[in-house]
Amino acid sequence: MRTIVFGAMTALAFGATAVSAQDYPSREIQGIIQWGAGGSTDTVMRSVTPHAEEVLGGTVVMQNMTGAVGAIALNYVADAEADGYTVLMGAENPMLYRTMGLGERDYSEFVPINLLARGTPILVAGPDAPYSTYAELMAYIAEHPGEVRFGSTGPGGLPSVITAMMQSVEGELDVIFVPYDGDGPALTALQGGAIDVMPAVLGAAIENIRAGTMKPLAIFDTERNERLPDVATAVEGNEGYSTYLPWGPFFGVFVHEGTPDEAVTALTAAYAQAAEAEDFRALMDTRGFTMMNISGDEAREFLAAWQSTTAWLMQEAGLAVNNPADLGIPRPGE
Amino acid sequence: MSVQPDPESDRAREGSSDATPGGLPEFRRPGELAFAVFLALASAGLLFSAHDIAGFRALSSPGAIPMATTAAMLVTALLVLWKTARQPKTGDETLRIAVFPASVIAMAVLLIGYALLLKPLGFLPTSALFLFIAIKLLSGRSIVFTGVVTLASVIGIWLIFRIVFTVLMPAGIVPEAEIIQIFRDLFNGGA
Amino acid sequence: MSALMDFLTVFTQPQLLLLVGLGTFAGVYVGAIPGLSVTMAVSILISFTFAWDVYPAISLMIGIYMGGVYGGSRTAILLNIPGAPSAIATALDGYPMAQKGEAGTAIGVTTVMSFFGGFIGILVLAAAAPAVSGFALRFQPRDYMLLAVLGILLVGSLSSGSLLKGIFAGAFGIAIGSVGMDPLTFTPRFTFDQPMLRGGINFIAVMIGMFGVSEVLLQLHHVNTPAVRQKISRIVPSFGTIKRYLPLSLQTSFIGVIIGALPGTGGDIAALMSYDHAKRITKNPETPFGEGAMEGLVAPESANNAAVGGAFIPMMTLGIPGDAVTAIMIGALFIHGLNPGPMLMIDHPDMFWFIVGALVTANFFMLIFGLTGIRLFVKIVEIPRAVLIPLIMLLSIVGAYAVNNSITDVYWMLGFGVFGYFMRLYGYPLGPVILGVILSRLLDDNWRRAIISEREDLGRFFSGIFHSPLSTVLLLAVVLIFVSQTPLWRLIRRRKA
Repeated sequence: MRTIVFGAMTALAFGATAVSAQDYPSREIQGIIQWGAGGSTDTVMRSVTPHAEEVLGGTVVMQNMTGAVGAIALNYVADAEADGYTVLMGAENPMLYRTMGLGERDYSEFVPINLLARGTPILVAGPDAPYSTYAELMAYIAEHPGEVRFGSTGPGGLPSVITAMMQSVEGELDVIFVPYDGDGPALTALQGGAIDVMPAVLGAAIENIRAGTMKPLAIFDTERNERLPDVATAVEGNEGYSTYLPWGPFFGVFVHEGTPDEAVTALTAAYAQAAEAEDFRALMDTRGFTMMNISGDEAREFLAAWQSTTAWLMQEAGLAVNNPADLGIPRPGE
Repeated sequence: MSVQPDPESDRAREGSSDATPGGLPEFRRPGELAFAVFLALASAGLLFSAHDIAGFRALSSPGAIPMATTAAMLVTALLVLWKTARQPKTGDETLRIAVFPASVIAMAVLLIGYALLLKPLGFLPTSALFLFIAIKLLSGRSIVFTGVVTLASVIGIWLIFRIVFTVLMPAGIVPEAEIIQIFRDLFNGGA
Repeated sequence: MSALMDFLTVFTQPQLLLLVGLGTFAGVYVGAIPGLSVTMAVSILISFTFAWDVYPAISLMIGIYMGGVYGGSRTAILLNIPGAPSAIATALDGYPMAQKGEAGTAIGVTTVMSFFGGFIGILVLAAAAPAVSGFALRFQPRDYMLLAVLGILLVGSLSSGSLLKGIFAGAFGIAIGSVGMDPLTFTPRFTFDQPMLRGGINFIAVMIGMFGVSEVLLQLHHVNTPAVRQKISRIVPSFGTIKRYLPLSLQTSFIGVIIGALPGTGGDIAALMSYDHAKRITKNPETPFGEGAMEGLVAPESANNAAVGGAFIPMMTLGIPGDAVTAIMIGALFIHGLNPGPMLMIDHPDMFWFIVGALVTANFFMLIFGLTGIRLFVKIVEIPRAVLIPLIMLLSIVGAYAVNNSITDVYWMLGFGVFGYFMRLYGYPLGPVILGVILSRLLDDNWRRAIISEREDLGRFFSGIFHSPLSTVLLLAVVLIFVSQTPLWRLIRRRKA
């Protein structure tokens, strides 16, 4: 009996080697999502990929692989065979792994298939907060040292980068940083009054702003956002921010360096077309994300610039574990 | 002199569920002292490691709760150790029968084998091999019976996890993805 | 009366009715298989239902959710492997019942009480969602911390043997929960410089190992003992039985709704707290707890299904997920062009009543699918041990792997299985370990948030507690339960008597 089973399996194995000479994709593709089910990376990837599947004429099986701020998923894809059948669906975090001492690898080992979109940071406060603008917040902090509670999400997260920017532009802020494990729980805490101010991504806060359960203080961008035209930008509050902005988290699809050109080309074309799909664009728009849909060298340049800005910002804020200079990350503008 | 525990069924010694664990409250079972020593040592090690996280830096340090819990572990483990050491041994049990019967050893060996082979050989062959040997060993039924049960179970589990839930088990030597693609093409071609 | 029409949408459209039914049916089995979770099923459905309209997509997801929460109890009762964390408490008394040949009765009672709990949850959602979500938002970090402490005190009622060993087990669980990169500061904890420990130890792997594998290893001592014959005379519980446990079910359902509605706590904690509540208020159970007490089934099963309705409360009113499943549903609503958030009830009131309607339908389907097919299901326990044991082992391995596609998790599962085997042999309770793991983050994260908010000042921390009625009540509950449970108290009472 056992010999029969094994015989059958070997036969299948041989049969299948003959098939794999076909064009890409000859079998299903694994899409490894760096973050948990229900998160924004998950939602974005699960809504763009069905369109890409149509173009590819193949199947992408998506898996959430969480842990260690996404490093588990990154390492999994980096260690898999670079044949185009294992794709990483991730966010910006890996570009800070080396600086923050969270890992040795980042996207420089990967080929960017598509950087889909980027988010816009916004500073929000509870509806009853005694300040309604960026300037009023700064004045309030100065008058009430050590009282205002800022939500944060650990070193390297969006809030830590934004507060690092604020400290670099405004000088040391005497506030309390209360740590949360994601912007969702932190924004919930903001509504419950456990924290007072929270730097978040626009999409996560926009519905609450519309409902009046959160108050927008400043958009961290160089231009006002068309979804919230009345909210002033941080640059309007302090010219110093123009050094760092625009800045924002992003989502992208990657394959490991060394993947055959055929696969890279097919995937790039598929995701470029998928990102143009109307319902996907509408989704990104309602969630307040700015579409990028870039790939190739353009994407590489974006990644390098992003890494340089952010890593040096963390270094100047004293949050970096490893000096970006030692890691070969150039200073912004160098 | 060894004291005999009250005649109790095996069930009581092993507990009826996780809410009522086994053990004999008044007696020390074979190996129990060694286990208690191990727990105390491990707790001490963990407390040491918890102190390394952030020392006594602040009430809010990431090491604060780990230090408190491992300290609680160490204290209770030492108390349990002290109690266990003073209890009389059960007279009717040996390590060989009560803790490591042949069937448990055999299963342990099979599981270690499974863990080692899973990645190189892949999920399907390893699982089939594991089920076949384990069922054959434990039941002593015919090869045909064992084979049929094994095949049906492995295929059933594979269909649910791999096809319906798209859980990617290690493929190993079986080109699963290609096989699935063949079927997919077949269906798409036919439709 | 448009609310009524929206509520009835599901009942009037055969296609939606079919999808809810199909979802519930699938959910019962997804929930029953350890390692396959409702969270996973619903996130797969996101891509699967991408091109559908929003009503059919949500119908299917709600069916799976309702069925899945209930389904977890099946394997908990039959095999001592909780299909989902929220069924852990069910295993404590359900499995002993199966071993006495009463699996049919156990599943019957579980089904009816899950239905009842589910119904209470939906009722609260429909009638008082804004009020409950307002209340849930008021929970500050220190309140969550006190809630966690309250949960940790359950160690007392989960360890019927030695309390010392119970405390050890609970502390061990909390320590397991803190392994890996700390999610708040990214400081490595108990990682011993091993990269594979950075991601922490998967909780489901610990659960499957501790409950399932340790039980299987113990069963190996009696491979040749014939399997327990199951009595299948009475499956649908009598009206008298239902009436008798209704008050308990009602109480624990409310515990379930509230805990379910709190963002950050879910059905697992609700079920354990309800189990404790049942144990506390039941003075003379027919069968002692831990040996097959009916109360030990009624309480957690009412609570975890009531928590489903609870989880929808913050989701529908505020756009805040009540648990992992509702978090994915929020994503699904986004994809389908809705904007979940505080405005959802105003922009799309139809969605709210539609979801309530779908939940009610799913609840009825759960009752139907729950009570049919029990006879067949119960047969699993009658499979000869020599075949069943290897099968459970394999299922545990696949289940542990499936959670996060990680072989490391399989190793952990096996390791904890062996460790749990020794714990069982030597009288260490396993329940507190799982309790500790579940509560670890809740306790640790919120303690740190609370004390940071008070600038590391313990004085300010305690004065904060007494300035908030909610915190004061929670603290009082903690103190009362602690005093009533400690051996000290029993000692004092005994001296006096």
